[in-house]
Amino acid sequence: MQASRARLFKEYKEVQREKVADPDIQLVCDDSNIFKWTALIKGPSETPYEGGVFQLAFSVPEQYPLQPPQVRFLTKIFHPNVHFKTGEICLDILKNAWSPAWTLQSVCRAIIALMAHPEPDSPLNCDSGNLLRSGDVRGFQSMAKMYTRLAAMPKKG
Amino acid sequence: MDSEDDMHDANDVDSYEEDYYSGDAMYSEDEDDAGYEFLHNDSDDSDDVLVSRQQKNYTILKEDDILQRQEDDITTICSVLSISRDSACMLLRRYNWNVSNVHEAWFANEDKVRKAVGLLDKTEFKPPKAGELPCGICFESYPLDKTSSAACGHPFCNTCWTAYISTSINDGPGCLTLRCPIPSCGAAVGVNMVNMLTSDEDKKKYRRYLLRSYIEDNRKTKWCPAPGCDFAIEFDLGSGSYDVTCHCSYSFCWNCTEEAHRPVDCETVSKWIMKNSAESENMNWILANSKPCPKCKRPIEKNQGCMHMTCNPPCKYEFCWLCLGQWSDHGERTGGFYACNRYESAKQEGAYDESERRREMAKNSLERYTHYYERWATNQSSRQKALADLHQMQTVHLAKLSEKQCQPETQLKFIIEAWLQIVECRRVLKWTYAYGYYLPEHELAKRQFFEYLQGEAEAGLERLHQCAEKELHTYLNDDASQDAFNNFRTKLAGLTSVTRNYFENLVRALENGLSDVDAHGASSKTSSSKNAAGTSKSKGTKGKGSNKVGTTSRTDDSTGWACDQCTYMNPKNATSCQMCNNGR
Ligand SMILES: [Zn+2]
Ligand SMILES: [Zn+2]
Ligand SMILES: [Zn+2]
Ligand SMILES: [Zn+2]
Ligand SMILES: [Zn+2]
Ligand SMILES: [Zn+2]
Ligand SMILES: [Zn+2]
Repeated sequence: MQASRARLFKEYKEVQREKVADPDIQLVCDDSNIFKWTALIKGPSETPYEGGVFQLAFSVPEQYPLQPPQVRFLTKIFHPNVHFKTGEICLDILKNAWSPAWTLQSVCRAIIALMAHPEPDSPLNCDSGNLLRSGDVRGFQSMAKMYTRLAAMPKKG
Repeated sequence: MDSEDDMHDANDVDSYEEDYYSGDAMYSEDEDDAGYEFLHNDSDDSDDVLVSRQQKNYTILKEDDILQRQEDDITTICSVLSISRDSACMLLRRYNWNVSNVHEAWFANEDKVRKAVGLLDKTEFKPPKAGELPCGICFESYPLDKTSSAACGHPFCNTCWTAYISTSINDGPGCLTLRCPIPSCGAAVGVNMVNMLTSDEDKKKYRRYLLRSYIEDNRKTKWCPAPGCDFAIEFDLGSGSYDVTCHCSYSFCWNCTEEAHRPVDCETVSKWIMKNSAESENMNWILANSKPCPKCKRPIEKNQGCMHMTCNPPCKYEFCWLCLGQWSDHGERTGGFYACNRYESAKQEGAYDESERRREMAKNSLERYTHYYERWATNQSSRQKALADLHQMQTVHLAKLSEKQCQPETQLKFIIEAWLQIVECRRVLKWTYAYGYYLPEHELAKRQFFEYLQGEAEAGLERLHQCAEKELHTYLNDDASQDAFNNFRTKLAGLTSVTRNYFENLVRALENGLSDVDAHGASSKTSSSKNAAGTSKSKGTKGKGSNKVGTTSRTDDSTGWACDQCTYMNPKNATSCQMCNNGR
């Protein structure tokens, strides 16, 4: 408990310093609970998520960093490895490939990479996985774009 | 069966008899088939329930033996490849503890192997000579002596290492392939670091995983499946019979780890076990014996011959079992109340045929299964009882008998031999019922031959079991004469030997897939084929003995002759059977 708190505090200070360094990620610690974080990440360019801003929720276990944090999308996203209803993410480093050398910041980076390179073979969203696997890239992109516009972009006007 | 086999046969029996009476160990050098019979255990300090069988194609390993072998293998790899013990251990584990595979892979492509296992030959990170280093897990800075690293050099503080390794150990056997925490690094973390950095409890757990890996990942070794048993068995692959007996006395099939089931093959055993556990038979029974009431749909069981069914209250609907029509419709129009020709005519038209036929079949197949299952289970429990009796004999009765008869216990070994034979025969007999169940009905000659052999073996076993169980008791309780006891000795030893012969015939025939029948197929057509499954128990042995189905080759052998009555293999010069006095 003490170790995880100390480590999270280190990450907190690091985030304050790095804010400018990585403009695509904005990690915020909950005011009253250092085990709860949220992040805003920018959809990577040249993907259907470009222009969108996606919110992630982190829940950090007491055994952190020996155990991985739980992360999910709060913003609706149409992506083969993200559960469309719950926002749950299928990513190996959040499960058995976790290493205590990862940080919340590097998890965000890994998620951005996943947005740019979906893995349709381990889908949590079957519809989008099927579109990609059947080779219907345009169909997939237009759906993903639509949801980015609907859910991840500030309403105009 | 050729004459050479028979010769060995005779030799086996001879050597057995000699050794048996001299009380020596009876491993005969020239014995070429894997010994199916129990043998003397020449170590007297053994108090095992079962005397261990000839251990030719397998070795029983204690924990110490396993550790020793593991150490030896590691030593070999480290000296041949000139690497550390730590690295050798990781290499061996990666290649399932197969020393020659490690050699092969290493000398084919050392770099590739190093990469796969995580054995770096140069460090990734050069630490400074002095000062502090940031730990990659807790992000605090520590003086050099408070940090450690794997071969890669990536520093982590000792506290974080301990937590990191401990988490992995408590996650399961995956700890054996632990790597440096830096995701892109992949340097292996081996037993050295575990020993340096973790608690005694974690070290113990890690060593246990390493030991288990040695047995479980190795193609040639398996744990004994008996509950609570810590022995492992190393098996010489491709060496014949899979039956092994652990020091704990449990006999099992090394291949499928079910209890020993020779002469029945693993596939049949797994089918049979699945069959026994499947509830589907019960479903079939209900299907065969009940139909849904046409009105309320509850299943009604037909337990009488009459077709007039009345549903249970409150329904009380009366209907005809055959056509499920209302009973009041029956009468003159259907050809009389008790002859539903609706059914008869419909059957002729084929309308009811299908479902009725299925019901009939299910009922027959259930009866057939029950027949075999009952006999299978009876022999199973009979074997359990015999095991308990054997134990009682070894621990209590033998000493008592020794006192009563003024004979040293070593002279009473024939009794233990008899019980061991009974235990083993019950096991074989039990499995022959699973075999019989799967023997196709239409292979009449084979069925007949099988049932003949099974019947002979079973009858012999019943005589032996009876003698060992009942007759022995009289000598335990009364003061019998020396002569009477010596007669008993001859009888019991003889029955043991005869029963062993019967069972050897049976086992050999089943392992050959009853192929002798093909050669003698014509002779088996002579008797009726109507008596299908398992009338073996009621078959007398006397009349059948002269039938000579498939066993004919034994008699025309020049080295001896098999008794027609008891199948005992007599020497050539004997004019009457040495076992039962039946004339040649
Ligand atoms: Zn640390
Ligand atoms: Zn490393
Ligand atoms: Zn055992
Ligand atoms: Zn088996
Ligand atoms: Zn009814
Ligand atoms: Zn009827
Ligand atoms: Zn005889």
